[in-house]
Amino acid sequence: MKKGLAFLLMGVMALAVVGCGKKAGSSQQEKTQAVITLGAYTVPKEAYQKEILPLFAKKWKALSGTEVSFRESYLASGAQSRAILSGFEADVAALSVPEDVARLEKNGLIQPGWNGAPRRGIVTRSVVVIVTRPGNPKGIKGWKDLTRADVEVLYPSPKTSGGAMWIVDAIYGAGLKMAEQETGKADPAYARKFLKDVQRRVKVMDKSGRASVTTFENGVGDVLLTYENEALLRQMEKKDFPFIVPDATMLIENPAAIVDKNVDRHSNREVVKAFLDFLWTPEAQRAYARYGFRPVDPEVEKEFASKFVVPSQLFDFNYFGGEEALSKLLYGEKGVWTQVLEELSHEE
Amino acid sequence: MRSEGQHRGLLLRSFALLYVGLLILLPIFAVGVKTFSTSPARVLHELFTPVALASLRLTILTAFAMVAVNVVTGTATAWVLVRYRFPGRKVLDSLVDLPFAIPTVVTGIMLAALYGPRSVVGRVLGRYGIEMVYSRVGIVLALLFVTFPFVVRSVQPVLMAWEKEAEEAAQTLGASPFQVFAKVILPALRPSILTGAALSFSRALGEFGSIVVLAGNIPFKTQVAAVYVYGEMESSNLEGALGVSLALLLFSFLILLLLNLLQRWSHRYE
Repeated sequence: MKKGLAFLLMGVMALAVVGCGKKAGSSQQEKTQAVITLGAYTVPKEAYQKEILPLFAKKWKALSGTEVSFRESYLASGAQSRAILSGFEADVAALSVPEDVARLEKNGLIQPGWNGAPRRGIVTRSVVVIVTRPGNPKGIKGWKDLTRADVEVLYPSPKTSGGAMWIVDAIYGAGLKMAEQETGKADPAYARKFLKDVQRRVKVMDKSGRASVTTFENGVGDVLLTYENEALLRQMEKKDFPFIVPDATMLIENPAAIVDKNVDRHSNREVVKAFLDFLWTPEAQRAYARYGFRPVDPEVEKEFASKFVVPSQLFDFNYFGGEEALSKLLYGEKGVWTQVLEELSHEE
Repeated sequence: MRSEGQHRGLLLRSFALLYVGLLILLPIFAVGVKTFSTSPARVLHELFTPVALASLRLTILTAFAMVAVNVVTGTATAWVLVRYRFPGRKVLDSLVDLPFAIPTVVTGIMLAALYGPRSVVGRVLGRYGIEMVYSRVGIVLALLFVTFPFVVRSVQPVLMAWEKEAEEAAQTLGASPFQVFAKVILPALRPSILTGAALSFSRALGEFGSIVVLAGNIPFKTQVAAVYVYGEMESSNLEGALGVSLALLLFSFLILLLLNLLQRWSHRYE
């Protein structure tokens, strides 16, 4: 018993010492240098770590003469949003889906106006693309081939990956565009059937976009639906990762915003504001573009015009009457995607 | 001296109770409170949506399939480990616990690599139209791996303590080896086999890490309850997550109750 107590005491003491050490360290740091906590989604991790953060640190040093360091966290967009909501003190939220930032606004962590003109809070763009096997052995040309009985399709689950919603949005929207071409009007019944025909071919729904790419690389499936930047990143790693940009596809827009509540608590608004503005500078935009994201800066967009072809029938949320309306239309309890899954379960 | 001992006992007891209370009961209590602070009716409604029920049904079916295999292979493994002396027995004995030591996500990745369509095994099986991963078979495979130690480890000590006299008596009386096993040994092992089965079953209900990698996660087809709960959490449907979580909790509780009864039964048998 005595021994046990001694151990317990030692444990408590050890914890106390560790705790003190951390506190002392961080308060010292804050005096000599600024710290920015970045809460981002996983996909742009490489762009931030290898280019954008070091670039800003250099710029800030030249501008203010003080060092800036980053505390970074990369999670799935929805998880990151919820982490910040439940107390992770990120100064900047750079997420995949505008809805995930809007959630922080709704809960009072971000002041309204983060998505005001002209930037609209959108820092990067991408499009949904169709990845095929090297040499395209199944002869995939576009959306219609995804419904063929000999084609297996992969995409992450929109339930677990906010980013995957872009993909299901794209399939549904492509269905509407096809209906428009064939019948003259954007027929929801046509789009619904198309979504169902594609979903029928889906073999695996991984929990994130990255996991989906890994499964595809492990040899599952003939076609992978993913974001253009993800496919370009693979090509950057010198992998044979051919993809098609369909004529009709969804424009992905990724937001970034200051988390006002945390910035007020850390009293580091000056440096955080400078960092956020930096994300829209041609320098940072070029870095994003090198890592496969479509830039939002018009000048940089021109520079990379040959890398990023603009699809002829590109659509965004407005095509469906807004983000909230689309989210309800597809993923609600009586949503189209939800119903399609249930109907497919009866086919077996 | 005696009073000191009593005092110590009381301290230890309250410490144990407090610890279990804080570590185990409090989080379960929190789930209950959360349910009532949202909307119990909504939680119940979410539980009875077809997709939630399908995930629960699949979870229970695959868990039963796993248990059916596990009781046979687990008992056989324990038998071999106790009754035979052969080179490598000690190694085999320590390998049994390995599934507990491997993070389940790693288990999933490992099995996917081994049985996936790119692998040699996967390609050979694929030629005969057998799909091991990204199917329900994959779920059972993952469960078999992560729950393997339970039956072995609950049967093994009973076999080790087993007196051979009863067996020899049966043999002398003219029982065939099969009769000895079925009528003498198996009844004595039954409580421990059932304990192992119940433990592995309740472990299987909550398995997530290996299945999310290995199953395919298609709702209504290969999406188990734990993956469903995760998905609803991630898409901010707290009530949906709570409904299925509570159902899983209830199942686990029932199994615990059953386990308790079994243990009482086994004591009576002794």
